[in-house]
Amino acid sequence: MIDSKHFAIVTRDESWSLGSRLVTESRLIHGSADQRGATIDARDDRDDELLVLCDRESDRVREAIASLREGRARAVVTARSDSGVSATISLSVRDLSVVTTLPHLAADYEMLIDLASVSAIADAGDLGVPLVWRNGSGAVLMHEAAGHPAEDDQPTLEWPSWLRVETPLAMRRESFTDVPLRRMAQVTVTCVEAGFSPPSSRYIEILLVAGGRYEPLADRVSLSISAANRIDGNESIRLRPFMIDEPRESIARSLRGASGDVRRYPGVICSKEGQNVFVGSHSPDLVTEFR
Amino acid sequence: MSEIYRKFGRTLRYENGTIVRSDEAGEAIEDAQTFTCRPIAHTVELPPIDGGAIDETVSEIHSIVRAPLKIERLIVSEGIAEHQFGDRRWRETTRRVHVAITFRALRALIDLGDFDLADVRMISGALVRAVPVEAGTHTEARIRLAPNVSAALLPALLGLVPPNIQLTQTAGGFDGKGSAIETCDVSIGQWPNWFRPSYRVRPVRAPFSLRASCDVTQIVEDLPRAIALLAPIERLTMSVLCVRGATVFPATVRVARIDAVSEAVRWYPYGAGSFGAEMML
Repeated sequence: MIDSKHFAIVTRDESWSLGSRLVTESRLIHGSADQRGATIDARDDRDDELLVLCDRESDRVREAIASLREGRARAVVTARSDSGVSATISLSVRDLSVVTTLPHLAADYEMLIDLASVSAIADAGDLGVPLVWRNGSGAVLMHEAAGHPAEDDQPTLEWPSWLRVETPLAMRRESFTDVPLRRMAQVTVTCVEAGFSPPSSRYIEILLVAGGRYEPLADRVSLSISAANRIDGNESIRLRPFMIDEPRESIARSLRGASGDVRRYPGVICSKEGQNVFVGSHSPDLVTEFR
Repeated sequence: MSEIYRKFGRTLRYENGTIVRSDEAGEAIEDAQTFTCRPIAHTVELPPIDGGAIDETVSEIHSIVRAPLKIERLIVSEGIAEHQFGDRRWRETTRRVHVAITFRALRALIDLGDFDLADVRMISGALVRAVPVEAGTHTEARIRLAPNVSAALLPALLGLVPPNIQLTQTAGGFDGKGSAIETCDVSIGQWPNWFRPSYRVRPVRAPFSLRASCDVTQIVEDLPRAIALLAPIERLTMSVLCVRGATVFPATVRVARIDAVSEAVRWYPYGAGSFGAEMML
């Protein structure tokens, strides 16, 4: 929860070219904000205790990143007076990228290398086949379809009875010159009914989502899919990036079921009013079918 | 060799009901491989910013944009900064307005580099008369662009400018490395100056204060006129609010050719700045 009187932050934002072991960009950002009513006084002063915390975590992140050998990385380590220390690490290999946190860095990097090792050779074509949202990516779908509408006080849709979507909201800000906004803190999707069998023959499995958007005026969701496979029997073909753009009601109607364990999606950097915040994302495999 | 840039800045910003006063000073050091930046001591005294002009602008926008129109987002800011690059010193002041106005399923986007609200008045007056999207969405081939719309288009034309159009950088002010910005032809994609919108942003070459010109300056007045952007420009496709006589409607415009450009009338904060002019597609 945001301290309504005083807020302080220290951030180190560093980018690496992993192949050449070079730090290409390094930013130190610090400051504080004092809010009285509807006025914020922001100044780039330094909280030395937060700086120590930030630097300690930055050292841990650098040590972990040193073991990576391919692609690019950007680590944003932040110590805040309202919520402690956090680190988000964006990893890019060839055309794919994920956002992760220190405990999951090695596993998510391995997944990214694995995904990037397969060449995309076909267009998505017919999106009327079942879509299976793997790797927790169903949480990104619900981030746009349920989370952002909740932030905007849009009417709640009637979701399937087997689906639970939790998108707790909190006042969040990216930095000291930003106005705190009511934002999602995380997205957790669960299934309360067992026994659903996912499609077994012809479907598209979505592995990675590059970005998404909720348009409140049209009540539509669009998602940019960066990695997906078309499955036809035993054949799996990597698809070129494609877009899914649907009214929110259509998404609610499209949900067929869920299966498997709740999985952590590597992470989502959510941008609103120019402020980027990390949103933790968890979901079982979701199945949608747009007809 | 390292280049060192320092900035001392003060801004006052109204953002959707909140006033943010901000004082910052920072240093950026760049060599061939690495860009680093950090805050530094405030060793330069800057004058206070009188919030009166911002208050008046916000108040006036609220009086112009009335129900059934809604203000979805309103940001009005004023800033002063001293820049240092090597032994060069220069100061600049800035004013910016960003307002998003909605009516039914339409959203008009307005970005201004000063507090003149003529565009806000024009667009609000038309938007409230817009026909529903379902009945009015269509593609326009021949159309006029109002200066605020053509200004947004110019950065998207870089590298794609038709042969009958010349894109020029306009002289005035200093770039992100303290060099004077001089008038030059930027149609062929060679940009002599550096754009650095913040000390935290690595500077990139960019053309400043773009201006389009064409041998043909006569605009056919009875064509529909695009008066506002309804979404950011994507490549060369624009979603715009159009006026034809008494009819106001949304349309999609794909810029394939430009037939005429009249005299530039106003500067807008798109990219590193661009001048708007009546334009005929």
